[in-house]
Amino acid sequence: MTATLSPKDFATATPSWWCPGCGDYGVLSALKQALAELGKVPKDVAFVSGIGCSGKISGYLHSYAFHGVHGRALPVATAVKLANRDLTVIAAGGDGDGYAIGAGHFLHAVRRNPNVTYVVMDNQTYGLTKGQSSPTSATGYVTGTSPQGNPDAPLNGLAVALAAGGSFLARGFSAHPKKLVELLKIAIEHDGFSIVEVMSPCVTYNKINTYAWFKENTYYVDEAPGYDPGDRSHAFDVLLDEGKIPLGILYRDGRPTLEALMNLPERPLAALDLNSSKADFASLLRAYR
Amino acid sequence: MTFNDIEIMFGGQAGDGSLTTGDLIAGVFKRMGLEVYTYKDFPSRIRGGHTNYVIRASEHRNYGMADFVDGLVAFDLEAVEAHITELRPGGFVVFDSTSETVPGPLRRPDVTWYDVPLAKIAKQDLGLELVRNTISLGVLAKLIGMDPAIVRNDVTGVYQRKGEKVVDLNVRAIEAGEAYVEKHYAEWPSGYGLKAREDGDRLLMMGNDAIAYGALVAGCRFMAGYPITPATDVLEWMAKYLPKFGGVAVQAEDELAAINMVLGAAFTGVRAMTATSGPGQALMTEAIGLAGVLEIPIVIVECARTGPSTGMPTKTEQSNLNHLIFSGHGEIPRVVLAPGTVEDSFYISARAFDIAEKYQCPVFVLTEQALCQSKATLPPLDAASVEIDRGKLVTGPVVFGDYRRFAFTEDGVSPRVIPGVEGGMHLAAGSEHDPEGVITENSLNRARMMEKRLGKLVSMREDLPEARVHGDPDAEIAIFGYGSNRGPIVEALERLERDGVAVRFFEFRTLWPFPEAGVADFVAGAKHVFVVENNYTGQLERLIRYVTGPLDYMHLVNKYDGKPFRPIEIIEAIERHALLRGPGERVAELVPLKAKRL
Repeated sequence: MTATLSPKDFATATPSWWCPGCGDYGVLSALKQALAELGKVPKDVAFVSGIGCSGKISGYLHSYAFHGVHGRALPVATAVKLANRDLTVIAAGGDGDGYAIGAGHFLHAVRRNPNVTYVVMDNQTYGLTKGQSSPTSATGYVTGTSPQGNPDAPLNGLAVALAAGGSFLARGFSAHPKKLVELLKIAIEHDGFSIVEVMSPCVTYNKINTYAWFKENTYYVDEAPGYDPGDRSHAFDVLLDEGKIPLGILYRDGRPTLEALMNLPERPLAALDLNSSKADFASLLRAYR
Repeated sequence: MTFNDIEIMFGGQAGDGSLTTGDLIAGVFKRMGLEVYTYKDFPSRIRGGHTNYVIRASEHRNYGMADFVDGLVAFDLEAVEAHITELRPGGFVVFDSTSETVPGPLRRPDVTWYDVPLAKIAKQDLGLELVRNTISLGVLAKLIGMDPAIVRNDVTGVYQRKGEKVVDLNVRAIEAGEAYVEKHYAEWPSGYGLKAREDGDRLLMMGNDAIAYGALVAGCRFMAGYPITPATDVLEWMAKYLPKFGGVAVQAEDELAAINMVLGAAFTGVRAMTATSGPGQALMTEAIGLAGVLEIPIVIVECARTGPSTGMPTKTEQSNLNHLIFSGHGEIPRVVLAPGTVEDSFYISARAFDIAEKYQCPVFVLTEQALCQSKATLPPLDAASVEIDRGKLVTGPVVFGDYRRFAFTEDGVSPRVIPGVEGGMHLAAGSEHDPEGVITENSLNRARMMEKRLGKLVSMREDLPEARVHGDPDAEIAIFGYGSNRGPIVEALERLERDGVAVRFFEFRTLWPFPEAGVADFVAGAKHVFVVENNYTGQLERLIRYVTGPLDYMHLVNKYDGKPFRPIEIIEAIERHALLRGPGERVAELVPLKAKRL
């Protein structure tokens, strides 16, 4: 084991394409910090991202990074985990990638509960295509594709995930780095599918959900008296409340993982010797004789 | 009296058990030492709708249906109506006469009719209408001389897991069928008989099972798929056996997830596959492009059915060839392989994984309903002969900074690390990237990357399964075809040869990259070229024309009614164009055979 790594060891040499002030910088630096503090090493981290501004993040985290097609980060990440359970598998994407084009996979990843961490960088807009409404944009949000105001209701991703059987739900704010690092560390350590939705403002296109707006409209559940993240109905209450946006660990349970329910061998599939047990193959033909 | 050469068709309503009985008969034929081919023609529903199951047995391995049906077991009038024209003159019909009668015009005088009140016997004598199938097996066994001991043994084997009572009931049903024939039709022979031969060391296997088995033997340890006819068998087989060999099969939420899971597992270093059919293939297209640009080895089994859209999900067609070769935005290296027999399904499937990993690209195994859901007898599959070559896979540490995942090399293939390897960390991005994996829109890099990736189509040529050339290599009549048509084409070729007509047949096993040199060589000296395929537009014919240029003596022999070819259809096309009429005619559609048969 090498000496404890620092966040810099998870940096790539690639310059960022994000706009100055983008909330995604906060997410990236918190992730690097969390991985370093957990003693992870880049070779054992698989980082899968989707498409969009948020999807660029995989290029900036020194690891085995996979920048696939739009909306499909979770199937890729699930299979990476099944193929090599020794890896720390993290998927990341935006509200469009995760809650629009990838919404189907989001639900099914929640149901399956693989030991994968999913970071949803929510800026309530489509950034890379220059500011259209997203699944989390407020009704009435005016954009190029919704000049008369967005007619759709915003999606409450965490409430949906809770209903679908989510085993770990948290929400952070990219302007609160310390808190975010803590949330990410606990999420990565959670044995199951852990979702960390991060409020990550778009400074270029979203003039409504700004840093100031989030500071005004959020609160941490652990600062509220008696909040119990093990209480599912309590979690529903705060998630469905139309007041301020709750942050922190909203819900967690110890439901069995996909790997456990599949009886996945301890030894990674990727490490199997493919030339062994040839003799056993012949016996399978007995059924056809 | 015809011995050891018979095609039986079971026709009735879906869900009435004729598939189980058909499988039973196929097993009995096999154990009697005969070569068997089966073809399932069933509706896309679980209960009701006309279904039929064809079982062909002969001393010669045919891999396809005969010209005609010899014996039709009809559980209802609809089966007679649908198939009476397919009967060979001199054939026979077993008809369940419990509640229907066959009207005069349908009662062909040139076939023997056995009216048996199957349902009535089942209900009155055995107390369960469901066993009328087994009674019909008893009737058939008696009529054509199936070995009674083997019949009883196989029936016992099939129903054993349902308990002694069920076994006993079915054995009594066999006896009831035999007794009915003895009592009513003892003086009325069917004209068909069987002579048992040595069973020997053979298998009776379905194409999809052979594909799955080939994948397992070749080291595939991850499969993700979404149920779709006629590919589901592959996922079911893998779900049963992969865990026993340390692997995993996942039923995904859709084909988009399935193919992306395959990419994830393959990226992580596990040999991975999916199996689907046209509609699923369409959904997978984007991610297959990603596999091409990320240079990830994956295997996609395409079990083709009729399209477009839902088409006829349980019927056969070869209309997805263009889709596999040309689908997707942008350009990637890809391989399309097509087995022609159940046996070859195993070897081609196993080979696909080596090609995928050696050239780091998607490899398709293309088959269709008439082959992948058909059973055939074959020699034991040789798992020991399958060697695994993982190409430029790197599992030991590399030096970070020196190592380049997408390095330019002579053959276009770069050393491939997998997650967990020290020093190999990189970004695998669907965006254009440089040798290190860093995203770039630099035009020089773009051009070199395209040349590197597409160049693999050239460097892989030597490694691709070669076409098989059948018949007389100097014959003036040349046929092209692939997949399930291999059976009827070879049979047509052999029969024409027996009539003194020389024919050669080019059986494609690699369809992409297109074997241009082989095709050009093969057509040289031919006076008539026939392309046999199951689609409307002549997808294979057009690929061949890219190589040969327009030939006024090229004939498209095509079919798009959901049914596989029978040999006579190919023979007739050849007779019409090469033997009776002069060159220059193009067959748009075959004259319906029904008129001729009646």
